[in-house]
Amino acid sequence: MSNFLNHDFGSEDEDDDFNPPHVDDSDAEDAKPAKVDDDNRTASYGNDDAKHNVEEEDEKDVADDDDNDDEDEEDEEDEEEEEEQEVNNRPRKRRRGGVMNFIEEEAGVDEEEDEAEDEEDELAEFGTEMHPDDLDALPAGAETDDRRHRQLDRQRELDATMDAEKQAQMLKERYGRNRAAASDALVVPKRLLLPSVEDPSIWGGRCKPGKEREVVFSIQKRIEERPANSRNPIRIISAFERGNIMQGWFYCEARRQPDVIEGLEGINFYYPSQKLTLVPVKEMPDLLRVQKSEELLPGGWVRIKRGKYQGDLAQIEEVETNGLNVTVRLVPRLDYGMNEDANALVGPDAKRKRGAVSAVRPPQRLFSEAEAKKKHGKFLSSTSGLRGKSWNYLNENYEDGFLIKDMRVNLLLTKNVNPRLEEVTMFARGADDGTANLDLASLAETLKNSTAEDAYQPGDPVEVYRGEQQGLVGRTVTTRGDIVSLEVTEGDLAGQTIDAPVRTLRKRFREGDHVKVIGGSRYQNELGMVVQVKEDTVTLLSDMSMQEITVFSKDLRLSAEMAADGQLGIYDVHDLVQLDAATVACVIKVDRESLRVMDQNGSTRNVLPTQVANKITPRRDAVATDRNGAEIRLGDTVKELYGEQRSGVIRHIHRSFLFLHNKAQAESAGMSVMRTTNVVTVSARGGRPAGPDLTKLNPALAMQAPGGGRGANMPPPQRGRDRLLGKTVTVRKGRYKGLVGIVRDADDNTAQVELYTSNKPVHIERDILVPKDPITKQSLDVGRGRGGGGGSRVPYGTSAVPPGRDGGWSGGRTPMAAGDSSRTPAWGGAASSRTPAWGGNSGSRTPAWKNDGSRTSNPWEAGNRTAYGGIGNRTPAWNSGSRTPYDSGSGYDAFASGSRTPAWGNAGAGNRTPAWGGLPNSRDQRDFDDAPTPGGYSAPTPGAYGSAPTPGASAPTPGAWADNAPTPGAYNAPTPGGMPKRSGGGAYDAPTPAAYDAPTPAVGGAAATPGAGYGDDDGGPRYDDATPSP
Amino acid sequence: MFFLKEETKVISLHPSFFGPNMREYLITRLNEEEEGRCTGDHFVICVMDMVDIGEGRVIPSSGNAEYTIKYRAIIWKPFRGETVDAIVTSVKPTGIFTLAGPLSVFIARKNIPGDIKWEPNTVPPQYTDHADQVIEKGTSLRLKILGVKPDVAAINAIGTIKEDYLG
Repeated sequence: MSNFLNHDFGSEDEDDDFNPPHVDDSDAEDAKPAKVDDDNRTASYGNDDAKHNVEEEDEKDVADDDDNDDEDEEDEEDEEEEEEQEVNNRPRKRRRGGVMNFIEEEAGVDEEEDEAEDEEDELAEFGTEMHPDDLDALPAGAETDDRRHRQLDRQRELDATMDAEKQAQMLKERYGRNRAAASDALVVPKRLLLPSVEDPSIWGGRCKPGKEREVVFSIQKRIEERPANSRNPIRIISAFERGNIMQGWFYCEARRQPDVIEGLEGINFYYPSQKLTLVPVKEMPDLLRVQKSEELLPGGWVRIKRGKYQGDLAQIEEVETNGLNVTVRLVPRLDYGMNEDANALVGPDAKRKRGAVSAVRPPQRLFSEAEAKKKHGKFLSSTSGLRGKSWNYLNENYEDGFLIKDMRVNLLLTKNVNPRLEEVTMFARGADDGTANLDLASLAETLKNSTAEDAYQPGDPVEVYRGEQQGLVGRTVTTRGDIVSLEVTEGDLAGQTIDAPVRTLRKRFREGDHVKVIGGSRYQNELGMVVQVKEDTVTLLSDMSMQEITVFSKDLRLSAEMAADGQLGIYDVHDLVQLDAATVACVIKVDRESLRVMDQNGSTRNVLPTQVANKITPRRDAVATDRNGAEIRLGDTVKELYGEQRSGVIRHIHRSFLFLHNKAQAESAGMSVMRTTNVVTVSARGGRPAGPDLTKLNPALAMQAPGGGRGANMPPPQRGRDRLLGKTVTVRKGRYKGLVGIVRDADDNTAQVELYTSNKPVHIERDILVPKDPITKQSLDVGRGRGGGGGSRVPYGTSAVPPGRDGGWSGGRTPMAAGDSSRTPAWGGAASSRTPAWGGNSGSRTPAWKNDGSRTSNPWEAGNRTAYGGIGNRTPAWNSGSRTPYDSGSGYDAFASGSRTPAWGNAGAGNRTPAWGGLPNSRDQRDFDDAPTPGGYSAPTPGAYGSAPTPGASAPTPGAWADNAPTPGAYNAPTPGGMPKRSGGGAYDAPTPAAYDAPTPAVGGAAATPGAGYGDDDGGPRYDDATPSP
Repeated sequence: MFFLKEETKVISLHPSFFGPNMREYLITRLNEEEEGRCTGDHFVICVMDMVDIGEGRVIPSSGNAEYTIKYRAIIWKPFRGETVDAIVTSVKPTGIFTLAGPLSVFIARKNIPGDIKWEPNTVPPQYTDHADQVIEKGTSLRLKILGVKPDVAAINAIGTIKEDYLG
C-alpha cells in the first residue's frame, strides 16, 4: 500500500504543482535562506488548508482520481507540504553527514540541469511507479517535485527505514506516530505533522473479513462516480484498510460521521448494522503505521511459512508493485501421484489428506515431465512462454523444473532466511558446475540482511565491499547493533577507526588462514585452512578429512585451535570409545547428534552418544609388540605387512588391535584398524634416542660392575620388607648370646627380637644376629637388611635376577634367544659374570667344573646354567634341567646338539653340583649362599622346589623331556615319570619329588624332608653315574 | 626460512656418567635430541656449536646433574609465501601430499592448475595435463606455501602450484 500511495502522491504533485514551488524548492535545496522562505510560506498558509490538502491527497491516493476543483488549493498546500518536508529533512540531512550530503548535492544538480529536460527522463527513472494517468496530466513544472521524490526514492534506497518515513511524509506525517521504527532525527518534524482535533476524523467500519480491500475499492469507485463537484458528492475524504492486521475493518476519513454513513450506503460486504467507531486522534497515526516492509527484490531468498513447502527455501522471481504478492521459485516437492491411491478421495477428506501429505512430504526434486506423464498425464499441459517452455501441472506452473508460484508476502519468511549453500545450489539452473549459475551476489545479499550481529567479533578481519568506503580493510573494534566500528589496517586511512553498517562488510580471509566454520552449514565446527577466497565464498581444506569445503566467509572465523576438531559432548574425533564389553571403536566423525565410529573389526557404524559406554582415555605407556616382536607404542609409525599395506601412526592400542591414523587417507577420517601381529614398525616415534640414557646408570659402568649379570642394570635396590623379619635368629654374642628368637621388627641397625626364652622383645644389633632355619637350626644367610645382604648378593645376582626370576628368565631370555648369535655373547657374558659366583658358591666346585673338560663348550656351561636359573631349578635331575632349554628354545637346538653330548657327561657331573648351588640361589627369599655347605644347602632345597617350579617354567619341559629321554637312559628313566606330571603345570611340587626320587631311590625317602635336598649331593654322584652311560 | 638460533637445553646426567667424557656425552646427547626435532614452530636442522655448556648442578635426592646448555642451531621455519622444493609422497583425488624436507605440505585440488587433471586410471595414479607434466609419487615439485598450521610436534602446511614458475 505504501508504494501505491507514494506513487500517487508523487504524480499528484506533479499534476498540481506550479512553477513557484519548484523555485522554492530549489532554493530550499540549494541555499539556506530558502528555508526561511519556506517557513514563511508555511506560516502564510492556513494550517487548516494544509491539512485539508493532505486529506484530499489521501482521498485521491485511494480513489486514484483527481478533483480538479480541489486541486488548485491542494497544489499550493502540497507545495507547502513539500516545503515542510524540506524543512523537516534539513536537520536530518545535516546530521546524517556523508551519504545524505551526497544526495542533496545530486538533487541540486539535477534541478539546475534538468529543468529543461522533458518528462521522459523522469518517466524513464520513475517509470513503473508512475500512474499513466498522472503522467498524462503532468504539467510543465512538475519535474521539480518529481526530483524531490526521486530524492526521496534515493533516500529510501539508502535506508530501509525511509520506507516508513516516506509514507508518513506523504501523508504529512498526519497519521504517522512514532511507534517503533522512526529514528530520533525525525521526531521533531513529525510532531508538527501529527493529526490534531481540527483534522478530519477517521471512522472505522466493519466489513466481511477478507473483503476489506474490496470495500475500499467500492468506495473509491463511488468517489469516482460522484466527485466532489458533482451533484451528490461523496464526502468521504479517504478510505483505507489495514489488510490482515485489522481484519474485518476498514477506515474512512471524513469531516462528519453522516458523510461516512452516506458514502457507505449500499457498499458490498460492509456491515452497516455495526456501529462506526471513531478513531481517537491519538490513534490515528497508528492506523497508518506501515510496518517496515522488507525490501523484497527479485533474486532474493525467502522461506515459505506454511503448507507443503514449509521451511523450504524459495527465490523471489518477481515482486508485484503492491508489495504484497510475490512470485517465487521453488524446488517442487511432488510425488506425481505415486501415493495417490492411498488417499484418492478428494472432498471432505481434503483437509485430513493435506495433513497426511505433509506428514510424508516428497523430497525436493526438480520437476520432471516424464515422471508427471506416468500417472498424471491428464493434469499436465505445456505452454511455451517467453522464457521457453513451461509446464502446467495440477494448476501449478513449472519452469526449468522449478515451481513458479504466486504467494502473498505474509506467507513468506523474509527475515533470517539463512539460505544454506546446499539449498541454494539446488537453484543453480542447469549448470555443470553447481555454483556457476548461482547468483551469489543476491545470496550474499540475503545473507547479509540476516547476518547475526554477533557474527562479527572484535578482532575479526573485515573488508568493506560496497558503499563509499568500499575496499577498506580493517579489523573490527566494536559492534553496536548493526554498526561495526573497524580499525583500518591498510591503505591511507590506516589506523583510523570508522563505522560501517554490517551489511557493507564481509569477513576477510587470506589463503592459508586457519579457520573454523562457526555456523550456517552442515560443516559447522570443521577446522581447516583456506585454500581459495572468491568474493564471499571461501574454500577451505578440512584438517580432518582433507576435503575441500566451500562456505560463506560470514560462517568462518579465524581459529587458533590446533586439532580439536568436531566435538560431541565429550567425544572427539579419533577418540577411542567402548561400545560394549567386547567392542571398542574409534570415533571417525562427529555429527551434531551422532557419532560415526569404526570398531575393532574395521566396520563402521553410527551410534548415539548414549550408546557409548565410555570413553577410553589413551594410556600413554601402552605397549604392544609387532610381528617381529619389536616394541610398538603410541605414536609409532607402523605398516601393515599384508593386505593393503596401509601404514599410519598408532593412535590407540587396545589389546591386540591398533588404531592407526594416516593423514593421507581421506576415508574414515584417516583411521584404520589392524592387529598387532599384522604390522611391522616403520619408525618409532620421533626416533627414540639411540644413545645411552644419560639419566640412567651408565651402561658402560653397568657392564663393568661385577653384579651386572647379563649386562643389564643392577637390580634396583629393593626396599620393602626386611628380609630378617619373621626369621628365627640366634644371637651371636653379647648378653643374649646363644638365645634364639624371632625377629619382630628391624631397622637398619637393630632388630627387635622376641626371644623364645623370655617372650619379650629386645633390641639387638643386627650384626650379631644369625638367622637360623627354625627347624634344622642351620644358619641361613639372609640378605643383610633390606634389599639383600652385601656378601650374599653376589651369587644371588649371579644366578638370576631375583624379582620375578622364573618368569623373568624364560621371558627375558626369549628375545635374546631369538637371535642365535645374540645369545652366545649373552651367555658368554652371563657365564663369565657368573663365574665368580661359582667361586662364591663353592670354591671346590669350580675347579671340579673345569676339570670336567666340559668347558670345551663354554656356551654349554652357560646353557646349563641357564637351565638352572630358569628351569633347572625345577629339575632336581641335572640333565633334565639342562636339557630342557635346549629343546624348548628354538635357538637352543643348534647349541644343544653341538654341545650336549660331550658336555653332557662332563657337565652332568660337574655342572650339576653347581647347579644345585645355583638352584637355591635362584630361589627367592633365600639366598643360599651357603649352599655349598651341606647343612645350609639341604634345608632350602625343598622350599626351592616348591617355589621355583612355576607352571611357566614347567611348560617347556615336556618337549624337552621327550627329546632328551633317550640320552641318559638310566637317568631319564625315572624322570619321565615325574616329568609328565610336572608338565601338567599345576601340581609341580608333587612330581618333583617323585621325579627326584625316581633316580635316587635312596634319596627318595628323604626327598620330602629338607634333608632330601641335601641328599641331592649324594644324588649327584649317582647322576654322574647315570650320565656317563650315554 | 633458515635461521641461526641460539637456544638452551637442560640435560640431566646420571652420576655414572661423571668423568672425563662428560662433555662428549652431553654433546652427543644434545645432537641426538635436538637435530631433526620439530617444535611445532620450526625444525631444528643442525646443531652448530655449543655456546656454553655451563656448570652442572647436582640435583638433591637423585644425584643427577643438570646441565643448562646454550647452543646455536640452524633452524628452518616455514613461512607462508615461501617457495620450497618438495617431493611428492602420495597422490590422492583430493590433492597431492608432498614432503619438503621434514615438512609435509598438502596441495589441494584447488591449488593445482586447472589443466593438470586427476588421472586415477594410471598406475600409479597421477595428476597430469596429458602432455609432458606428470605428477606422481616421487615427482619433484616447486611449490609455494600457502599456510602453515603448527601442531604439537609437527607442522602441517598447505601449498599451491597454481602460480607462475611453480609446479
